[in-house]
Formats: sequence, structure tokens, C-alpha cells
Amino acid sequence: MRRLGWPLVLLALAACTENTTSPGVCPNFCPSGSISIQDTIFATIIERDSSFRGYIQAYQGALMTAADSPGVVDSRPFFTTQAFGSMRIAPNPGDTTTVPFVVDSVRLRLIIARRDKQATNLRLKLFQVPLTADSTSDFASLDPYFTAPAVDSVSISGLLATAGATDTAVTRFWRSICAACIDSVRVDSAGNVLLMQPDSSLLVYLKLDTLQAPLSEPDSGRLAYGIRVAADSFASVSVAAEQAGAGAGPRVNRYYHYTIPDTVSTKPDSVVHLNREIGPRFDSFVFEPPSAAIDSNLTVGGVPSARTLLRVAMPKFLHDSIDIVRATLILVPVSAVRGVPSDSFAIEARNLTADLGAKSPLGGTFVNTFMHIGSADTVRIELTNLVRTWSLDTTQVTSLFLTQVPEASSYTQARFYSTRAPAFRPALHVTYVHRFQFGAP
Amino acid sequence: MRAAALLCLALLAAGHLAAQDSQFGIKGLGTPGRWESVRARTTGGAFAPFDPFSPLTDASLADARRMSASVAGGTSWRTLEPTGAAEASLRATRFPALVIAGPVTRRIVVGGGFATYLDRTFGIRIQDTIDLRGVPQPITDEITSDGAVSDLRLAAAARLHRRVAFGLGFHLLTGSTRIVATRTFADTANYRSSTARDEVAYAGRGASASLLLDVTRDLRLAGWVRSDTKLRGDISGRQITESDLPRSYGAGVLWRAGTQASLAGTVMWRNWAAAATGPDSTVHDTFNWSVGAEIGSLGTPIRFGVRGGQLPFGIGKTPSEVGYTAGLGRQFSGGRGRLDIGLERLERRGTGLTERVWTFLVGLTVRP
Repeated sequence: MRRLGWPLVLLALAACTENTTSPGVCPNFCPSGSISIQDTIFATIIERDSSFRGYIQAYQGALMTAADSPGVVDSRPFFTTQAFGSMRIAPNPGDTTTVPFVVDSVRLRLIIARRDKQATNLRLKLFQVPLTADSTSDFASLDPYFTAPAVDSVSISGLLATAGATDTAVTRFWRSICAACIDSVRVDSAGNVLLMQPDSSLLVYLKLDTLQAPLSEPDSGRLAYGIRVAADSFASVSVAAEQAGAGAGPRVNRYYHYTIPDTVSTKPDSVVHLNREIGPRFDSFVFEPPSAAIDSNLTVGGVPSARTLLRVAMPKFLHDSIDIVRATLILVPVSAVRGVPSDSFAIEARNLTADLGAKSPLGGTFVNTFMHIGSADTVRIELTNLVRTWSLDTTQVTSLFLTQVPEASSYTQARFYSTRAPAFRPALHVTYVHRFQFGAP
Repeated sequence: MRAAALLCLALLAAGHLAAQDSQFGIKGLGTPGRWESVRARTTGGAFAPFDPFSPLTDASLADARRMSASVAGGTSWRTLEPTGAAEASLRATRFPALVIAGPVTRRIVVGGGFATYLDRTFGIRIQDTIDLRGVPQPITDEITSDGAVSDLRLAAAARLHRRVAFGLGFHLLTGSTRIVATRTFADTANYRSSTARDEVAYAGRGASASLLLDVTRDLRLAGWVRSDTKLRGDISGRQITESDLPRSYGAGVLWRAGTQASLAGTVMWRNWAAAATGPDSTVHDTFNWSVGAEIGSLGTPIRFGVRGGQLPFGIGKTPSEVGYTAGLGRQFSGGRGRLDIGLERLERRGTGLTERVWTFLVGLTVRP
């Protein structure tokens, strides 16, 4: 019997694993029950839909869109900077006299978060705007400043086409500014610099002189600029605003010096070189034509941002005996979204934790789809996870908000037919599996 | 030896309370279990009516003169050869029978245990392409069932006469199957998998009676009958099915050809057609037979046998099966324990499918 030990051990090990599933030979050797699937468009399941505007203002947006498409849109970012602070300094501790700061040069940093890579001859132009520009400024009030001669301009396409700098002193300096940046450090003949971040966004450093960026004592050293974009085609970029994250907005870096006079010996005066970075005080953008007013259709996007509230009347049987495998919200655009072709944007469908109308708190479940400029195709948003949750949990609020992502960062807005247009009203396309008939042989 | 015993227990613990499953049982109520100990099974089942540790008959308990327990287990490697489809290989470990018996008086022995009445363990995978939203969509359906209808038996056998033993048994049919039906889509980006699962609980009752008659010192006859009520299937307390169960009749003969050889033969009928639900039913009455022999000393016998017969469920003509078995046993601890091992080769044929099975069997009997 002892000799049988090892074969038995091997057999026992083999017995530890099971494989009882085989390809089905149906219908002769399959259970009589089968998994059946149904695909239905619920044309009237969406009800009490509304749009509301005013959630996010342009100055609260994460991005500022600069676009120029004649006859379609003209969008112009602008910003003002913080005050420079004191413009004089006591050269030595205890000195009662002060010496002035002398500005040597100025760098204006912009982050271009989005651009069309097919754009040719893409340029940014810098315009002086009044320091008083704020949330009350509109396209018309700022237009004279944007039509005046530009303070400076930089060719983004030209910088991108420039060979990377090989001077180690230059590259080391700019690598120390942005250690995470990829690709080469590109410098044009005017001293403008372009760096590329890992997410393909561009850091553009415009070199300004003291005339272009004066240190004016009456203005406390504050500056105000507007930006226009130009290109042979696809003239549209998004510039990061301060709301995108601390330090993301336009920044001015002044390089200056002051002199410490030598009053005791005959040695020459010593010079101290410093720089100071100044962030934005206010940033926003204006555009023409303005976002259309809310009407009987559903609106998503624009500035101030508009959201659409859709309420879904889930039929009882969607709760009971089915398993939803796909649910798609169908929206029919009233017209193609106008804009520069590269200004496609995302629409997010997000659940609500409570249905309080326009001020309903948003939930944590969301899905996105993209709206393409110039396309009037039906928009489909996959809501499978959301509708499955509604199907399984009857306590859930079966409503959702459609919002633009990011909000109030672009002139673009989508308009869809509402339930007031029976032929084109929003619908829910649901694919579901019937409950399996258990127990039948 | 101790290692072998532990090994057996490990083997058995790994298994399910079920018998050997078959694709022929998917369409019906299940695959009927074998009410046989490993000793009886390695003789093709021919010794089952005479073996006190085979749950087939109750009268045979009269031969259990000491408190004893026997357990059987087996691992099967099954090959499916469907007509016009690809072969598939399956593997399963099962724990088909346990019998505990002991005398309460000089003439009466009481026993009990469990066996598999119907095995309902299977899994099928179906791949297809369906049209969804105007796009051909590849899908995979997987339906698995794991469980069995078990036969809990309480039986008593009485030796009415030196040559006659009579047994009665009460059977409680119980058990459940966990069924999972899953549909997965090739397009996982847009379609979520759908999984439905439930547990079907089964309940039924039955009774059996059997008789052993020693015609001569070397010739023994057995006869038995069993009847079961309807088998009810419930999900969450709600009845979903009710199926008639068959009556079983059987007879056997055992001949002791000297002190070191025994031959036996058995026949059994079961009217499964009673479980039919309509004129298109795929349920068939069955007739099964077996012949086997046990040769050698009581301590180290060698066994072999052959069996044949029919399966109750299948499309078209009644599926048939033929099996060949061989095995050996070894007593240990002065006859207080016995280890039986065996190998069985089965071939089942039916319309559209041939099934070939190798089964390795291990049985352990102890008399504390």
C-alpha cells in the first residue's frame, strides 16, 4: 500500500482543480433557458428638461480662449497684474535714503494649454488694455485697445520650428525654470522662449522691454494686456487662467537692479541684481458674438456657463427584472456648433444627489462626450453606469446635468432640441438583458 | 498508511457532494447518481445490492455487524465529442456517497448517510454574434450550475430469518444548485457584462424496500424497489418547478465461487418517463445491468466488472452507456479499516454526442 502513496498524492493534486465548463452544443445539450437581450429607444423617458445660465463667469474659467475666425467668432483674453510693490529700497540697513529699482528686462509667461497642431503661422499678439479692465469689461469696451497697434507679438509656429538651443548656459537656465519640460528649449531671434510641458502644453516666455512693460509708479507697477491670436487657419488657442491652478495664469517676471553707493571709500558702487515675479490680479476673456440667450431648446456651455437639467422617468420594469448592459442618451442638436474647427469641447453628464432644480448639487458619477465644431450629428452620451445605478437603487435621483468641460472657458456652446420638440426630443437608448429563467431544466 | 488515509480525506474534502456529471443531464433533471461504494463500483456496480456500504439497498445493512462508516470519492476526466463541434475536456472531483451503519439489536441494523440522487453540475459556454444597434456584436454566454439533489437516507435492516434479510429506507431529497448566467460582450468599452445568479433549492421524499435471500450458502439473491415523490424546485421560497420522479426496481444475484472468488450480476429498471412534461419530452425509461467479480483474499481483493445500460435524458434515441471497471482493496489496522481504489472507463453515446470518462475512485471504510 505504501507504494501507492505517491501516485495517490499526484492524483489528489490533480483533483484539486476543476473544469466543468465546455463549449455549448445547443440546443440539444444546453439548458432550455437562454439569455435574451432587448434593445429599445425610450423616446419619452426624458421629461421636465430645462437649461439654466449663470453658473460660471468668464473670469472664473480655467482657460481663456483666444480665437479669430472672421464672421464666426473673435475671442480675446485679457489680464491685469498685481502691483509691483515698493519701487525703491534702502541700500544698506539703517539708511534713511533710498535708491530706485531700475528694470532691465521683463518676461511675460503664458501657458498655452490647447492649440491646433495643424495651425500654420500661429501668432500671439499682445495689446495694452486699461488697468481698470475687470468683470464689467465687454468686447465693445475693450475693442479699441485690441485694434490699436500691438505691444508685441510672438510666432508660436516659428518658435516650434526653431532648432533647439545648444548653448548650455541657456538650456541650463531654462531647464532650471521648468525641470519637467520635455523636448528642446527653443529661442527665437527676439529672445522669446518656448518650452514644452509633458502634457504638450506650451510655456511661452515673451521678452519685453521697459517700454512695452513700463514700471510706472502711478500704476504701482501694474500691467494690463490683451491677447489676440492670428494664423493662416485654425486660429484658436486656450491660455491657462489663474483658476486652472495656482501659478497657472499669466505671470510677469521683472529683472531689475539697484545700486549701493559707496560713501566711505573710492571703490566703485556695487550693483545688486534681482527679479520679482508678479501674478495676475484679474484674468478673463471677451468674445463676439456673445452666447445666445436661453430659449425653449436645451443649452450647454457658453459664457456665463449654461447647464441643462434632464429628468429621467424610469419605467418600473427597468427596475425589476432586467440587467442594463448599455444606456445611451440621444440628443439632437438644433444646429451645428459654431466656432473654429479646433475648438471641439467635451460635454459631461453628471448625476445629481438631489433634484433641486437649477441649484441641484452634483454627484460623483459622470461621463463625457465630445462636441465637434461644425457638426450637426446626433450626440450620444453613454450613461450605462448611471442608468444601471438607477435601475438597481430606486432611492437614486434619476436626473442629470449636462455641462461643458471646462465651463466658461470658451465661447462655444451646444444647443439641443428639448422635449418641447416631440420629433427631436432627447431619448434614452437602452440595451438590457432579461432575467434568466432559473430552475427550468 | 496514515498518509494514504489523510490523502483520501483531502481528496474527498476537495470534492463536491455530487456524482459524476454528464452533458446528457443538462437538458433533463440531472445525471442520476450511482448509489455504490467504491468496492461495488469497481465491480461495475454488480455488488451494490449486497454491499452494506452501497446506498442502493437497505437490506444489505443487515451484514454490518459493527458500527462502520464508509465514504467514497472520485475524480473524473471527461472528454466530450459532439457531432460537428469541437472536442472538449473536463475535469471534476466528486464525493458521491457516505454510509454509516451499526446494529441496534442482534437482528436489526440501522444506517444512514447520503448519496447523490441527481447531479446538476455543469457549465456551458456559447459564443455567437448578434446584431445590436445595427452592428454585429460578438458575445459569449456562460451558464454554470453547481450543485446536486442529494439523497439523505435513514434505513433499517432486519434479519428475519437465517437466510432472509429485509430492509426499509426513508429518503429525504434535498440540495441546491447555484446557477450563474453571464453574458459578456467583445466590445467591453460600450457594453457591460450581465450576470444573473440564483440558487434553486430542491426538496422531495422517497421510500425504499429491499430483500436479501440466501438461496444456498453460496448463492444470494437481492430484490429492491424504490419510489420517490415529486421533486420540487424553489427559488427564494417560491416554487418554480415540480417534477415526477421515477420508480426503481432491481434484482441481483451473488455467487461465492469458493473462499477467494465471488461473482455478481444486477439489473435495474427506472421509469423516468414519468418525469416527462409533454409529448416532445426527451425523457426515457432506463434499464441498466452490471456484472462483476471479486477475487482474492478478504484483505487484498482484486475487483473488476462491466456495466451497461441507458441514461434517462437525451434528444432522440435513448442514450446508452458502457463501462469497464477494475480496482483493489486493502484492509489495515487488523481489519478495522479498508482502503479501496479503482479505475472506471465509461463511454456514453447519444444522438449528437459521445462522452468518454476516466474516473479514479477512492473509498475508505472504518470500523472503530
